[in-house]
Parts: sequence; structure tokens; C-alpha cells
Amino acid sequence: MSHSVEFRNITKFFPGVKALDDVSFRAEGSRVLAFLGENGAGKSTLLKTLNGDYQATSGDYMLDGESVHFKSPHEAIEAGVSVIYQERQVLMELSVAENIFLGRMPTGRLGFIDIHEAGRMAQRIIDDFGLPIRPSTKVKDLSIAYQQMVEIMKAYSRDNLRVICFDEPTASLSDAEIDVLFRIIEKLRDEGKVVIYVSHRMSEIKRIADDVAIFKDGHYVKTVDAKTTSDAEMIRLMVGRDLGDIYDSLDRDKTIGDELLRVEGLYSDYVQPVSFTLHRGEVLGFSGLVGAGRTEVMRAIIGADRMLGGKVYLEGNEIHNKDPHAAMENGIVYVPEDRKTQGILSNLDVAKNITVSMLDRNSNALGFVDTSKEDEIVKGGIRDFSIKTPSPDKKIVELSGGNQQKCIVARWMATKPKVLILDEPTKGIDVGAKSEFYHMICSFAKQGLGVILISSELPEIIGLSDRIIVMGNLEVKGEVMRKDASEERLLSLAMSEGGEDK
Amino acid sequence: MNNVWKKVKGLIPGDKLILIVALVIVVAIFTSLNGNYLSWTNFVNILVAASLIGLVAIGHTYLIIAGQNDLSPGSVAAFTGVLCATLVAMGVPFILAMVITLASGAVVGIFNAWMVNRIKIEAFIATLVSQFVFRGFAYILCDGRPVSITDKSYLWIGATRFLSIPLSVWIMLVLILVFGIILARTRFGRSVYAIGGNKDAARLAGLNPQRIVTILFIMMGVITALGGIVFSSRMHSGQPAANVNLEFDAITAVVLGGVSFTGGVGDMVGTILGVILIQAFNTGLIMVNVPSFWQYVARGALLLFALTSDYIRKTKREKALLESSKKALSSK
Repeated sequence: MSHSVEFRNITKFFPGVKALDDVSFRAEGSRVLAFLGENGAGKSTLLKTLNGDYQATSGDYMLDGESVHFKSPHEAIEAGVSVIYQERQVLMELSVAENIFLGRMPTGRLGFIDIHEAGRMAQRIIDDFGLPIRPSTKVKDLSIAYQQMVEIMKAYSRDNLRVICFDEPTASLSDAEIDVLFRIIEKLRDEGKVVIYVSHRMSEIKRIADDVAIFKDGHYVKTVDAKTTSDAEMIRLMVGRDLGDIYDSLDRDKTIGDELLRVEGLYSDYVQPVSFTLHRGEVLGFSGLVGAGRTEVMRAIIGADRMLGGKVYLEGNEIHNKDPHAAMENGIVYVPEDRKTQGILSNLDVAKNITVSMLDRNSNALGFVDTSKEDEIVKGGIRDFSIKTPSPDKKIVELSGGNQQKCIVARWMATKPKVLILDEPTKGIDVGAKSEFYHMICSFAKQGLGVILISSELPEIIGLSDRIIVMGNLEVKGEVMRKDASEERLLSLAMSEGGEDK
Repeated sequence: MNNVWKKVKGLIPGDKLILIVALVIVVAIFTSLNGNYLSWTNFVNILVAASLIGLVAIGHTYLIIAGQNDLSPGSVAAFTGVLCATLVAMGVPFILAMVITLASGAVVGIFNAWMVNRIKIEAFIATLVSQFVFRGFAYILCDGRPVSITDKSYLWIGATRFLSIPLSVWIMLVLILVFGIILARTRFGRSVYAIGGNKDAARLAGLNPQRIVTILFIMMGVITALGGIVFSSRMHSGQPAANVNLEFDAITAVVLGGVSFTGGVGDMVGTILGVILIQAFNTGLIMVNVPSFWQYVARGALLLFALTSDYIRKTKREKALLESSKKALSSK
């Protein structure tokens, strides 16, 4: 029997974000449906509202033609809807069989758990999946891929499994492991289940999916055929406009000045020795895969993590940043990657978020804050960075992601820095705000600031940087000038084995 | 009548108004049960009884806004009272004894901050350690027997009055005012709110959360020591068994006053109202002869009420936030 799920007018609000906007479409069983979209497009949120992890603000679901509403993931699992997440939800200390039958272990007549029966039942499923693991093995002794398989088997062991969703399941799998996963996905598909597959990787989607549902900024765009639609077409639907035009329209009329920042052999607990230089008016890109060590270099430079060795020179003088405050006093500021947990002060309003780093400079000898000075800075920030807020005393969390990010930039620009470090500044921000940020970055460079830009989006880093440093495995893999940069070049450097001597 | 109500509502923010209304209700109930409740003498009595809670509540206001807490003040107040009385009994001049006692309060604060900052123990548990340790020291110092005070200048603190209001009350009121202004108007106060919202983000924004937390615990220790000295003077002795559960009264007052356990929210005006409310309640229970065992139950109920209202306020804040961003985003 073939199952189906229908999403009907699903809308979901978070403070400051409309994560899903009136999403309606149907997913059929016996087919693999991929969700495609940029970060923040709403793919994961949609899965979480489906399985009851989040409650939709409005709208509902039809499961096999019947309206359902799950209050928790547990209820969803009971009804046959499972989501397999990137982070594994298995219990490491328990055995494979115990994990598969968690909460419903077979029992004997006296109510004691029948461990042998559980083993036999688990073995049948393992054989079904064709895996070389044993029911009694502790999950912590399995590879990450097999831990994930245990999770899938757990969902599969329920007779009523109707919908199974995979949220970026291949993020940490090797090619051979991906093959096993795909074989199992095909098996689930052939049994008539609804299979939903969320991924960024186009090649995987082409390989495993039958249909592709495309999302953009919380909207469902349309569903296309995975095999006959070109990559370019899908990306166009996903991004909605060609970013190439934005890069071409940037103002690059500037001069790159003398050396501003020199880092020599800097290392910390989290990164190998790294050296590089940055010039006045230069945008220096840091490229690499997630976990390459780019953020860690910056954290060591500003003193957020302890620098264990190496030297940092600013305008030729050696400096020591013992904490981010010292870095700020020296003129080096950092806009962190994770805006929610590291950037904004969520309990405070827009004005106080902008002025927090200027508290010292805006207060008199007794420590009293000069509010008129602050008002000026806030007004200036809101104007210069066109922050869209009803008033400065609105809570910052009420603003959209892009405007929150602008507040953080305004906070730092008020301190008149020499070096501005931006860590994934456009992550989870809509395309309109992105282009505003690109223009901003260019104008900062034009004013003579040294800008360091960390970005995982290759077109972004190529489009904006004058020079690009590629990192991988916590060290520098190479350096590429803008005119020589291409996505292939950066990727192959990022994944190369050798060090700096290419 | 309706118009008057509207005017009042316009003058006083909603959350403070609720406290004032609650205070009026408490006063009305106890007055109806005991006619002597509503009198100048009793009002002053309530303020005197509230003076120690009020001092400790200053520290709790700062600490809880900063995302911390402190369970040691009851023990520390007893310990410092015994310490000061013992020093004076040994012949140390009162002024010097006072300075030493206040310094010992600072040491307690440094110890608490060290546990929180260096060994990374949750403040709630870390300060439980101090609660035990300093209660123990209070008994050890005097061998379990109260130390009586005969020194004139020492006793003067607890006995003297200005404008017919005891000095202990003035100390509380002046410190609440001073620390209220510091909290609202200075860069230090503003940093406290910032680290209470999110320590990591505040550090990346150039603040020094560990230093601020250390200052706050020292502040709490010194203020509590001052409270301990004043209290012992009022009792004419340093009592090792005194002030048990003091911190819970202070925390109840602070949370009633609108400081949230999630950190980053609240102010000193709420705290002073909360302090008066809780002492009006405690004194009332005694005046209408509620058996002392039942007073514990009633105080527990009040704490539950405070925590529930904190929860309701929090849910309301979140809802309002969601609603207003819904509006802002839909109109786009």
C-alpha cells in the first residue's frame, strides 16, 4: 500500500522570523521526494512541524487522507512518522536491539524483558537491511554510519511506518556508507513509504530523488522532476535571482594600501599554526569546509580563545589580545557566525545591542552612561546600515535575521575599528539583505578598513574577496588571488592533503 | 473612579501596579483580622524586620539579573554577626572589628565567585557549599553559644533613630536607592543586564563576564556582612543560629518584584516593592497568630506564587514578542 502526506497552508512564526509561509503541497509514497533550498529556507522547520517538534502557527497535515496533528515527536512516531536527524538520537550505552525496541522491548509472561526474543527480532530487521552488525553490540562501538542505520531500523521496526524523513543524513558519511544508506532508502521507497530527503548536495539529490520540492525564504516554490531538471534551473528556482548581477554591480574602485595586520604562526588549542597578512582596503576571504579552522583562527586573534603561540602585529606593532575587549581597544572586531547565541543580546533592545561595546567610551569617570551620546550612535547606526526597526527600543529578537546582523555590524563600526572580521555574515539571511551586506563590505574596504570575510559559499567569497586563503584540517592550504579564483580551485585546495607549500 | 484608575495606570507601569495592588490586598486582609496591623508603629516594625531581607535582596537583584544566584547570605549574615561580636568581645575597637567583618564578607564573595568562575559550578550549588561552610564557622567561632554585645557604639547602630525611623531602615533605603541608580544608569549596571542575557555574546561584545560576576559576589558578601553587623546589634548578640532561610525570603521578594530567573530582566523598584510585600505578609502571619509551623507552609506558598508569576510573565513576554514580530513581518 502506498502512503501520502499533504501539507496544507502551513505557516510558522518565530520571534523575528516567518520561517514558513503558507506552504501547501503533496508528497506521495513509492517516490523519494527531496527538499532543496538555501540555509534558512524552511526545510528543517517544515519537518519539525510535521513530526510535532514544533507546532505550526496555522495550517495542518493530511496523512493518508486523514487530518492529523502531533503534539510531540513521540506521538508522530506512534502514528508512523519518523525523522532521522543529522545528530544521532540513539542511546550510546545500549545495544543495537535495545535501541531498536526502546520502550517496547518484548516481555515474557512475568513482565521481564525477553532479551533473546529482542535479539531475534532485531536480527530479522538487520538481515532485511543486509547489514554486518549484531543485535548485542553496544551502539557506541558502531561507526557513525551504522549508528544512523540503527536509528532507521528503529523507525522501520514499527509495523505502521508511513513517512520517513532524512535531514542531511550524509553530512558525516563516506561514499561507501552513502551507498548502503541509499540502498535502504530505495527499499523503503519500494515498500510504499513516503520518503523525504533533505540535502544540500545536488549530486546526491540527482541520484536518489524522484522529485525535488524547492523552498526559498520560507515559501514552497514548486516541485520539479529530479532526473530531467537541470542543476542550473534548480538553483535559479532556489535562489530566485542571479547573484552574479550583484557581484558585477559592486563598487570596487579602491586602492589596497600598506600592511595592516600580520599574523605569524598563531595557534591555539583548536587550530594549527597559521600565518597571513591583511592590507588596508583589502577584503581577505577565508574559504574552506565547515570545521576547517577558520573561526578558530579568528577567535584566537581576538582573544576569545587563548593564543598558545605565534605573533600578531597591527600596523607593525606587536599586540596581545587577552580578551575580545582588548582586541576591540586595539581596533580588531569580530562579527560571530552564530548570531543567535554569540552575536545578539536577546533580552535587550536594538539600542542597547548597538551601544553595548561602547559602554566604556560613553560613560563618565563615575561610570554614568551619557544617554545623549548613545542616542546619537544608535541613530547613526540605524541610518547608516538602514536597519529596519519600528523604534530603537524594540527588542532585537523582533527584527529579521538580516536586521539583527546589521545591528551587530553597527555595534562594531561605532567603535571605529581598523580590522573587521565577518564570520559567515550572510548565513540565514534573505537575498535582498545579502546584497546590502555585499555593498557594505565593499564600502568598508573603500574606507580603508581591512576586512576578513569567512564564508562557506564559494560564489560569495570569490565575488567579494581581493585575495582568498583556503583552510582545511585546521591549517592553511593555500592562497589564491581574485583573478585566479574559481570554485574548483578553492574546493580542490580545501580538500588537498599537503600544507602551504603547494 | 474609573478615570482615577486609568490615570494611576498611566503613571505606573503594569507589573509594578500589580505589586501595589497585591500589597493593598495583603494589608486589607490582615487589618480586617487584626485592627492593630494598619498603624505607624507596625509599619515601622515591618520596615525594621525587612531591613536585612532588603539588603540581601539588593545583591540578589544584581546576581539574578546577571544569571547567577546566591544561597549563602543567611549563613553569612549569622557568621559575620558572630564574628563582629566576638572581635569586639575580645577587645578589638568596634570600627576595626567592623572593617574586618566587612572584609570577611568580601572574602566569602571571592570564594563564591571562584567556585563559579574557576571550577564552573552552577551558582545555585556552589553557594550551597558556602551556606554549609559559613554556618559551620558561625558555630565554631562561638562554640555554639550566642556572643552578647555590650559595646556602646556597637549597640548604637541597632538602637538609634532618625526622624523616628531606625537607622537599620535608613541603611536599607539608602543602599537600595544607590544601587538602584547604579543598576539603571551606569555602565556597570548595563553590563550586568548584558551578561545576564547571554554570557558568551556579551564576552564577544567586549565585556568581561567573569570579572562582573566576581564583583557581584563580593558586593553581595559585603552587603550581607553589613546586614549581619546591624542585625547582631539589634539582637544585642551575635547568634550563630540566626537568619536561616534569609536567602529564600530575599529571592522570593526579588522574583515577586519582577526579576526573572532566566536572567537579564528586572529592576530595583520592583525589588523594594517585593521586599515590603513579603515582610508585610510575614509580619501579618505572626500578628494574626498563624501557628509557626503553618507559617513555613504559607511562606512556601508565597515562593510558589512568586515563581508562578515569573513563569507567567515569561510566557507573556514570549507571546507578545511573537505577536509583534508576526505583525511586523506580515505587513512586509
